[in-house]
Amino acid sequence: MTAVILDGIVLGLQFGLLGVGMTLVYGLGGVLNLAHGSMAVVGAIVVANAMAAGAPVLVAVGAGLLAVGALGLVLDSTLMRAVYRLHGESRVLLSLLLTLGVAFIIDGLLVWRYPIGSLGIHISGDPIEILGVRMRIGSLVASAISVVTGAALVAFFRLTTAGRAVRSVIQDEVGARLCGINPAAVRSLIFGLSGMLAALVAITKSMTAPITTTAGIDFTILALIVTVVGGLGSVAGAFLAGILLGIVNTVSSFYIGTYITSIMLLAAAALTILLRPSGLLGRRA
Amino acid sequence: MLEVEGLSAGYLGDDVVHDISFRVADSAAVTIIGSNGAGKTTLFRAMCGLLPKSAGRVTLDGEDISDLRAHSIARAGLAYVPSGRHLFPQMTVVENLSLGGFPGRPDPKTMAVVLDLFPRLGERKNQQAGTMSGGEQQMLAVGRALISEPKLLVLDEPTTGLAPKLAADAYAALTVLQSQGLTLLVAEQQVPLALSLADYGYVLENGRVQLDGTADDLERDPEVRRAYLGVS
Repeated sequence: MTAVILDGIVLGLQFGLLGVGMTLVYGLGGVLNLAHGSMAVVGAIVVANAMAAGAPVLVAVGAGLLAVGALGLVLDSTLMRAVYRLHGESRVLLSLLLTLGVAFIIDGLLVWRYPIGSLGIHISGDPIEILGVRMRIGSLVASAISVVTGAALVAFFRLTTAGRAVRSVIQDEVGARLCGINPAAVRSLIFGLSGMLAALVAITKSMTAPITTTAGIDFTILALIVTVVGGLGSVAGAFLAGILLGIVNTVSSFYIGTYITSIMLLAAAALTILLRPSGLLGRRA
Repeated sequence: MLEVEGLSAGYLGDDVVHDISFRVADSAAVTIIGSNGAGKTTLFRAMCGLLPKSAGRVTLDGEDISDLRAHSIARAGLAYVPSGRHLFPQMTVVENLSLGGFPGRPDPKTMAVVLDLFPRLGERKNQQAGTMSGGEQQMLAVGRALISEPKLLVLDEPTTGLAPKLAADAYAALTVLQSQGLTLLVAEQQVPLALSLADYGYVLENGRVQLDGTADDLERDPEVRRAYLGVS
């Protein structure tokens, strides 16, 4: 049981990292990015290719993250410009349509270029025992990366001027502008960062089990569930929701069966919407 | 310090304020008085880049800021405190203040000056802005604007929603700031308070400047006395 819960928490941190970008992009600009998961897969592909070409792991991972960050910046400064010109419902709607289109294009290209592609990053070494649970080195590295990244994000948003500036735009955009903060620049930064975090999740996942080129949509749906359960625009909410959902995921797949886990996750999301329409830590009703 | 020439602006293509011109001299305190709907807020929003201008020029300390966006105007040294305050409700007092100095970290000396002017903010450093009273929020909004060490402080109805005692306190604080050499521009419906602070005033009606003069002239003006000071 300890092993299952521990597994759940590790998975949950990854869910949190996956959701935090989506929730921030929504909080900043009212945009739901349905290409979130596909961007993550692009990152993993770049890493796999770089490693196949002989690059060391760290260089390959760096290249993957930078590639996705750049993709995010390009999307934000081209397609998303049209979205930010609209307001309210039409903005959300156009963002859904455009990013869904981007997701189709990325997925199509990936399937075309890497048809058999299942990507795995292999980290060798004997399993290590932690709290009486045997864990593979790959899972340990993946967990460590998730924990460190999560902590770094929290510190960034709480303690740095740039992080506070991001939160200020979510809380009151006019107030932020009057303080000299450029919301468009903040949105670009976060769009890129959000892609990088999603890519990091895809990369760490490929350390424990291979992922396929069509995994994008699954990542996107997971990120959406985390975002809804945690509350749109809430960083802490995304991590809290991620960890809860991670535990739900591993417990249900261990005791009931893998086939049931996505139903359980969606049920958890539906239940949250019924009981707390604004999410666990959301502020807008 | 500030020069506005022929400014017109409004919403959805309909101008609300027309051909407004006024100036604020260095270290002066100038007030724009007018009733609800006269166009004070529209004028300020256009001036600060929150609303597009359909015509006109705005110059701050010799620099043309007409075409700058709001965040650039703020960085140029024009600090605007809107009547809605626009604080960051889920951040603490200190976090709100520190963002006033964006993109840098606030100067500790300036921070000390602000906390000295508003001791209440010092007592509530770690309280979330959204949970404070209206008067405290107003202090925080002014404090946040001051942290940037602005050339010009623009306030839109700083007494909105405040009890008379707190409104008087707010003006007492503004008087202190003016005596320290800060240039002030204040829009106000509570004309007696505004004229007690200002050296010069403009009367805005239906989106146009109807009258301007020194505070003393305006106080003696029969129209102003009848319409805004409740004297017949």
